[in-house]
Parts: sequence; C-alpha cells; structure tokens
Amino acid sequence: MTPSRLDLQALALGYEGRAFMRGIDLRVDASEIVAILGPSGSGKSTLLSAIAGVVPPLDGRILIDGRDVTRAPIHERDVGLIFQEPLLFPHLDVASNIAYGLRRHGQTRKAAHLRATELLEWLGLGGYERRRVNELSGGQAQRVALARALAPRPAVLCLDEPFSALDADLRQRLAVEVSAMLRESGVAAIHVTHDPTEARTVADRVIELSALGEAL
Amino acid sequence: MTPTLPGWLRWSWLPPGAFLLVFLVYPLAVLAVTVTSDSGGGVISTLASPTLWQVTGLAAGQAAASTVVALLVGLPLANVVSRYRFRGRAFAQALVTVPFVLPTVVVALAFRSLLGDGVPQGLVLVVMAHAYVNLAVVARIVGAQWAQHSGDYESVARTLGASRWRAFVDVTLPSLRPAIAASAAVVFVFSFTSLGIVLLLGDPTTRTLESQILRQTSVLLDFPGAAATALVQLVIVSTVLLLGAAASRRSATRRSRPPALRPLPSSVSGRAAVRITAVIGALIVLAPVAALVASSLRSSRGWTLSWWTSLGSVDAGTTRLSPPSEAITTSLAYAALTALIAAGVGGLAAIASLTSGRSRIIAVLALIPLGVSAATLGLGTLLAFGRPPMDLRATGLLIPLAHALVAVPLVIAVVAPSLRSTDTRMSAVAATLGARPTRAFWTTYGPVLRIVMVAAAALAGAVSLGEFGAATFLGRAAAPTVPVQIVRLLGRPGEQSLGVAAVLAVVLVVMTLLLVMLVDRWATPLRRTTAQENPA
Repeated sequence: MTPSRLDLQALALGYEGRAFMRGIDLRVDASEIVAILGPSGSGKSTLLSAIAGVVPPLDGRILIDGRDVTRAPIHERDVGLIFQEPLLFPHLDVASNIAYGLRRHGQTRKAAHLRATELLEWLGLGGYERRRVNELSGGQAQRVALARALAPRPAVLCLDEPFSALDADLRQRLAVEVSAMLRESGVAAIHVTHDPTEARTVADRVIELSALGEAL
Repeated sequence: MTPTLPGWLRWSWLPPGAFLLVFLVYPLAVLAVTVTSDSGGGVISTLASPTLWQVTGLAAGQAAASTVVALLVGLPLANVVSRYRFRGRAFAQALVTVPFVLPTVVVALAFRSLLGDGVPQGLVLVVMAHAYVNLAVVARIVGAQWAQHSGDYESVARTLGASRWRAFVDVTLPSLRPAIAASAAVVFVFSFTSLGIVLLLGDPTTRTLESQILRQTSVLLDFPGAAATALVQLVIVSTVLLLGAAASRRSATRRSRPPALRPLPSSVSGRAAVRITAVIGALIVLAPVAALVASSLRSSRGWTLSWWTSLGSVDAGTTRLSPPSEAITTSLAYAALTALIAAGVGGLAAIASLTSGRSRIIAVLALIPLGVSAATLGLGTLLAFGRPPMDLRATGLLIPLAHALVAVPLVIAVVAPSLRSTDTRMSAVAATLGARPTRAFWTTYGPVLRIVMVAAAALAGAVSLGEFGAATFLGRAAAPTVPVQIVRLLGRPGEQSLGVAAVLAVVLVVMTLLLVMLVDRWATPLRRTTAQENPA
C-alpha cells in the first residue's frame, strides 16, 4: 500500500508545555482536500502550525509521504502554508513573491520567473508580474499567495481560514476556484475554517476538529 | 480650531516663537554673519585648510565604525527585548535605555574605569563608548518595528524552502531596513558630533568637528574659523539626517498591528540564545557603571571612602575657590532653571499644536535644535550674548537658556502626544454644562497637563544635568557644572582627581536616573490611561 501524503499519528498539541488536545490521527491522500471545522480558539491553527513545523507537537508523529518529519526543520518538510492574510513579501513584486520558493529550491531566476508567469496566467492574473503587492485587491493577493505556496509543488498544503478576510461574495467564488486548483495540482490539502458552507464547497471530506482527537 | 477651544489658544505660539527667534535664530544668524563678513580670511583659510577636511574624514570614519558596532550589538538586543515574553523583560528593556540617558562624560569616565588599563585611549575606546551610548537608539527604534513585524512572514518563507538565516535575510531584514536606516542615521550623527567622549577617551586621530570648534574658540581664539567649522558640521549633519529620514520613509507597507510578545522559542538552543543575549546585554550595560562605582571607592592602597569625603574640600576641586560639591549645587540650579524655561516654552508650543491654524507649525520649528550640535548652539549663543554690547555671561542665564533650547524638543515630544490623545469631546461636554471656553479647556486638559508637565520638566532637568558641550562654551571658570568639573579633574594628574571625578560621576548618574524614573513614573501611566479611555 502506498503511504498517504500526510499521516498524523497520535499527535498532541499545546502551548508552552500544556496540552489542549491529544491523540490526533488523520490521513490525507494526494489530490484530496480535507476541511477541518471548529470554532475559533479551538486549536485548528495550532494543528496547521504543527504540520508546517512552526510549532512543535508535544507528542506523536507527522509523516509526509511515509517520511517522519516530526522534528524536521520547516524548510525541509515539503509543506506549504497559507494564512488568513496573504502575507505577501512587501518588498518584492508579484512575480518575485511567486518565484521565491522556486529560487530556494534551486531554480534559476529565469526559470523561476517563467514558472511564476505561467502560474499567474493560470490564476487569471496574467500581466501582473511587475505589480507591487500593495496594489493588489484582497482576492488577488490571496490568489498570489496560493500561487506562491503551490509553485514549489509541496506535498501538503495547509490553508488557515484563507478566505475569512474577504467579503462573502468573493469568498464563495474564490472557494470554488481554489478548490479546483488544488485538485488539479495534486497536493494534499488541509483547509481549516469555522464556516460549514465554505468547508463543504472546498473539501472532499469535512471533519470536526473535536472528532480528530481528545480535547483536554 | 474646535469651537470649544478658547480664543487665546491662537496666540500660544507667540512666547515659544519669540524664544526661538531670540535664542536660536538670532545666534545662528550671528554665526552665519561671522562667517560671511569675515575679511581677515579666517573663514576661507579654515575651509581651504586640509586640517578641516582631514578631521571631517576621521570623524566620519569613526562615526561609521561606531554605527556598525552599535547595530551589531543593538540588533540582537532589539530582537530579544522587543519580541519575546520572559521574566525580567521589562527590566531588561529599562536597562538597555540606561546608557542613553547617562551623561556622555560619565560614560567616558566609566569606560576609562572599566578598560583604562587594557585598551589604550583612541579609536577603539571611542567607538566602544559611542556604541554603548547608542545601544538604546538601535534597540528602541528597530525593536519597535520588529515587534510589529509578523513572524508569519518567516514561517511562509521557511515553508517555501528558506533556511532560518535565509528567511531572516530575505524577509525580516527588508522589513526592518527603514528602522535600521533611521537608527543608523541617528547613531552616526551622535557619534559624528560627539564631544565629551572624544575629549576623554580619544587621541589625535579621533577628533571631531565638535572638538575642533572647541579648540578653535578656546585655544586658538579663531571665532570665524570655528563658525566655518560649525557650518560645515551643520551641513553634514542635516544631510545625514535627511538621508536617514528618506530611507526610513521608503518602507513598502505600513500596516500597524498591536505588537504581541511571543513565547520563547520552543527549541532548547533557541531559548538559550534568547537568555544568553539578554544576560550579555545586561552585563554590557552594567559593567561600565559598576567599574565607575568601584573607582569612586578605590585608591592604590585599597578600598576607601576618602574620595567621597574630600568632595567638600576646596583642595580637591579645580577652581581654588570652592569644593567639587559646589559643582553639584551649580548643576542643580541650572537644571531647575532649564526645567522651568523648557517646560514653559515647550508646553506652550505643545498646546499650540492642538489648534488647527498655522500656529501649530511652532511645534515643528521647535524641533530644529535637535539637528544643531551643542557646540554650535553654544558658540552661537556665545557670539550673540557673550560679548559686548550684550554680555549675559555674568547673569548665569546663558547655560540654562542653551540647555532649554536642547530640551524643548523633548518637552514637546512628551507633552504633545498626551494632549492630542485626550478626548476632545470632554470640552464639548463641559461647554454644554455651562463652562466658558477657557474653563472647558482646563477641565479637559488641566489634569493631563498637571501630570505631564512634571515629567517634561524632569526630562529637561536631566538633559541639563548631563549636558557638556554648551556648558563648556558658556560656563564661568569659577562655577563649572558637574560634567565640566569632571572633565577638568581628569585633565589634572593625580589619583585624587580621578577618584573625585568618579564620585561626581556617580552622583550625576544617581541624579539623572532619579529624574528619568520620575519621567517614566509620571508620563507612562498617563499615556496608558488615556489610551484606555480613548480606544479610538
């Protein structure tokens, strides 16, 4: 049996040594989108941070393509991360933001920018390469953040309420769009939200956070 | 103007305006006239002399080195003190500020006490002392920006394959660049115009234009030459400050988020790095001060209190008229007068900034003395009011007036934000309850002013206590201030002179810190409560 792209085994999460959740088990396959639902403050973001390596889990294992990355540094995990805010690097233009990860993965500047241009076309943002990021609308900026995260072809993509800063109309539209793009890219995606409608729009599987493990 | 503000407020700019005109603009104009009307060729020969440009080059090199060292030491401290939550953080933050409020003469003596035997006088010692004084500039300015910077940017860069260092260079550093540029410009200017530290710790290779001006006026009696040097310095300093301001404005985005302290890093090595940086920072700050206290209690024969007891003896002083303790009384009197003048002038300028009319420009104009060095101010004042037909030297007013000029910008910086953060709806409420405009004004701003003016006056007093440059130019030989007395004592051989100088320096440290604590005690809680009352 081929291993799942992402495999969480008996993960325990907490702040400063105190656990608030333990026994988290979850498997996500390639091209699968899993939405995790939960009220704010329930620890959804901490779960994503742990997968990405921003905070260490208190216990348990994180496997990506069968490889144990529980203690691996962030940049060696093959996990992309998207926050509520796009967090585009303000001193780089749109194309350089998207090319950033490709450059870190050893691509030449030319190749990276070529790929960035392709991704922008794919997103319907052709011609935006040289734009400053503060000239983008909220929806455009979040699309660029998505392109930046997907450009290095991560195995897993964590999306932390990526649409919550947008207005309702745009949120719905972008949710449909992003869902299609994620499937096309083949990444294993975990989408965290407190909005059940958004969860059902985006995901193949919707899980309550409380069903993943034992809250303490 | 808000209709509820009293009409007389429109004229509140007049007293500070007159003060600036008489004691800043007029002396600088006299300085400029001295330069241009000089027929003896002193100006031309000064500008053409290789010495001037050689000193400029040396001072620029020294200032650049001081800036680099201050950044290298200050950036890690800024990171630790402004971003992480740990026990003792508030104390560490206060500690980092200490070197900045210490009089430069005291810092110089403290470095001599600490390293006097190990490091010879010269560039290295001067650069270390300048970096020490300016740690707070880097830690505060860069720290404030760093605290605002979301760590999520680095997380994103790391998920994209950047190592920790790479993420710092690619993402963190660019976002800090404006703050680094701003603090670098300030540190450069402080070091470029340094006087006390250069006189006490330097050698011929570390002269600054400031020390050159002092030499030209007090040794060579070449006033046109000194005026020319002062103008060259003014041009360079203004250029650097403008460049710094331009660089710090060039920030890509300006999203201000409430700074949230983060927990210590989760890794053992990360935690250790933060703790070690904090401890090393504390040691760097405290070691020179401890050495200073030790040298006030030590002679070649061991521990002693005799330097402290000789404070009242005429023989221990340099004036042959009065004991060293007299300098403390002199300094305190000047500080009190400075506090009074600066609080009055600066307070009115801050009040003028409440109005919507043109009179609020006065609060901006009053900041000009910040860009003019103490020796330039001192020299200008001396040329304008220190010789016939208008010789004010005997009145003892020249030093407090010059100190007030230096302190007014700081008074405005303390008072104006507090006034502006006061809820203006209160005076409307007072007015609807029947208060006339003046009454409504005092009901609204009186409580704030009563507290914040104490803090502002204390700050002005602290500035006066430690100021050395202007006091050297304007002081009377028989009544030196404490910093001037310290420098004179150090110019005299003998163990007693050094010991008594250390005692005076310790006294100065205690007086300055008491005043600064007063500022902190009175100014900070006020800002906090007004912020709470006006969430908008």
